[in-house]
Amino acid sequence: MTNRRLPAALCVLATGALLAACSNTATPPGGGTASAALRIASNSSEKIALDAAIAAFKRANPGIDVQVTYADTDPYLTTLRTQLSSGTAPDVFFAFPAKGNAGAVQVLAPSGYLQDLSARPWAGQVPQDVKTVTQAGGKQYLLPVTFTGIGAIYNKKAMREVGGSEPTTWKDVLDLCDKARTAGRTAFALGNQTPWVTQLIDYALVSTLVYTPGSTFDADLAGGRTSFAASTGWKGAMDKYLELSKRGCFSKDPLGTPVETALQQVGKGEAVAAVQVLATAGQIRDAAAQGTELGMFPLPATDDAQATRMPGAVGTSYAINAKARDRAAAEKFIDFLAQPQIMNDYAAKSNAAPAIPNDAFAPDPAFAALLEYQKSGRTVPFMDQFWPNPKVQQAHLSGVQELFSGAATPQDVLTEMDKAYKSN
Amino acid sequence: MLPALALYLYVVLVPSFRGAGYAFTDWSGLGERMSFVGLENFARIFDDSAAQDALWQTVAITAVITIVQNVVGLLLALGVHSRIRSRNALRVLFFAPAVMTPVVTAYLWRYLYAPEGALNTALDALGLGALRQNWLGDPGLALWSVAAIVIWQFSGYSMVIFLAGLQSVPRELHEAAGVDGAGAVQRFWHITRPLLASAVTINVMLALIGGFKLFDQVYVTTGGGPGHATETLSTLIYKNAFQFGDFAYSTAIAVLLAVVVAAVSAVQYRGLRQQKGSS
Repeated sequence: MTNRRLPAALCVLATGALLAACSNTATPPGGGTASAALRIASNSSEKIALDAAIAAFKRANPGIDVQVTYADTDPYLTTLRTQLSSGTAPDVFFAFPAKGNAGAVQVLAPSGYLQDLSARPWAGQVPQDVKTVTQAGGKQYLLPVTFTGIGAIYNKKAMREVGGSEPTTWKDVLDLCDKARTAGRTAFALGNQTPWVTQLIDYALVSTLVYTPGSTFDADLAGGRTSFAASTGWKGAMDKYLELSKRGCFSKDPLGTPVETALQQVGKGEAVAAVQVLATAGQIRDAAAQGTELGMFPLPATDDAQATRMPGAVGTSYAINAKARDRAAAEKFIDFLAQPQIMNDYAAKSNAAPAIPNDAFAPDPAFAALLEYQKSGRTVPFMDQFWPNPKVQQAHLSGVQELFSGAATPQDVLTEMDKAYKSN
Repeated sequence: MLPALALYLYVVLVPSFRGAGYAFTDWSGLGERMSFVGLENFARIFDDSAAQDALWQTVAITAVITIVQNVVGLLLALGVHSRIRSRNALRVLFFAPAVMTPVVTAYLWRYLYAPEGALNTALDALGLGALRQNWLGDPGLALWSVAAIVIWQFSGYSMVIFLAGLQSVPRELHEAAGVDGAGAVQRFWHITRPLLASAVTINVMLALIGGFKLFDQVYVTTGGGPGHATETLSTLIYKNAFQFGDFAYSTAIAVLLAVVVAAVSAVQYRGLRQQKGSS
């Protein structure tokens, strides 16, 4: 740690301690000391898949001890940035693709915190469209593990009980809301008290309303030729978001409901579905009775079923700390994760697809729609991945909360997003 | 003494002053790149509506916490200072929340405040369903819901300090005043209140400092939302430092917060000392 880093590290020590208390540390039985172990940090949503991958890694490498720490997204980012700036970051850690997030590769790599993985044996197999969001300055810094999507994850029993079926048009979505309400259920559980959840329905709708085939929206936005406020697609998505709310499609008081509660509502069948990142299906299953079947459908935004597209992008990615204490073990672990069978297992446990495709992957039929949409070119990268800084996403998250509280209009929120976009 | 002072200097004072130096740079919180920008970050605060909203919300919640927590604390202290048989048990009961970690109590209250949580369920059970609220989801209510958590947790702490003050009031003064015909209210106002000045000083200062620094309870329950309805200076500092990658600006707000806390504390300390001296 340099002298200049010390004060910053001490300034955030209390925060770090707090976050450490909120995290879940799993030390393997008989594990050694922290300094002797390969240290890995990841997001809580990865626990099921990463724990399984680590168990397999330890069987294959009994001489390497592993310590893994999990935390939810917000505290994870805080801890990671603090650890990176103070030189205490784990050897291998979860990092986000592109640059729209405080823990994204194109935010962290330019500061020299990530090890260049371009020479790893799997680097040449990374698909071109995945490379654009896992590289920085032409170098591969992330191992992409899963390709995930945002769709409506639903409880099949609850769907049957309300007399509904997978909607393929916007009208079907509204009909499902009515059927659920008539049956005393909720169509879509929504935990908008948790900031990152607020963006998901907008993303699902925008992928159809803005990113029509041949759309140049992102390039036009970057070139100053358009704006969020001028986008009829973005405004349309927010209008539809509010329309769903007014129609009674969501669980009661979404602004007072945390994501954990919303996922439990789907698991218990109190709500039919939740528009979510597919990785959360595991948490829904945890809350559900044994044998509960889940399914998934892309959220339609128009009455043309063929026009529907879904957000689909690199989900889980891992990086190696440029100052890893045990570089050899870290590289061994990353290369282990990149093996097709391991990546397939990880993807299956995340209800996703492997980010480096291979023929051996057999998707869970409940979530096959993601792969079908990916193969037919009907997926759209998560919107924030191409935003120039994390402030745009934050403006969107708090803006949606203000939409739901009546404190702002869609135009207000989009104007704030434009300001944040230009504040880089 | 000297080793402790040296440790304090190295761990607290030096990092604090060196940390404040970041307020005069453009450091993002990551990497080596850093340039001196003078007072630019401080000037930005005055153009930043989010910072101004957070400042006023911080002042408002601090004022409410300080007043209500101390009134409740004083009433509790007067209650458990009496000769009721259960006073020791009540003292423990009222003080217990103060020894819990704020993060833990905030998580607890997040579930109590949930739309279908214990608080609304209890209102229903009592036939008061009309009073059900979206405690943390209503922007007009969320800030005060958070304030209630702090007041619930630390009123017992204020009680203990007031109780120490009450126990230092000579019983003979009350007995003499009683002989002279003074009622309970008169005895409290003319004897107890002036002698509680030290306890008031400590309690008000602690509540003020705690209110201005309020973070844990806001971060856990609302994260500053819905929208920015419960944003305080501390949550804004956190977001700028760790979510927006704007560490230098975050430090500038922190420096401003430290100056405000020091100034307010100094003014009220001086005022209360004068009051104590004149009584």
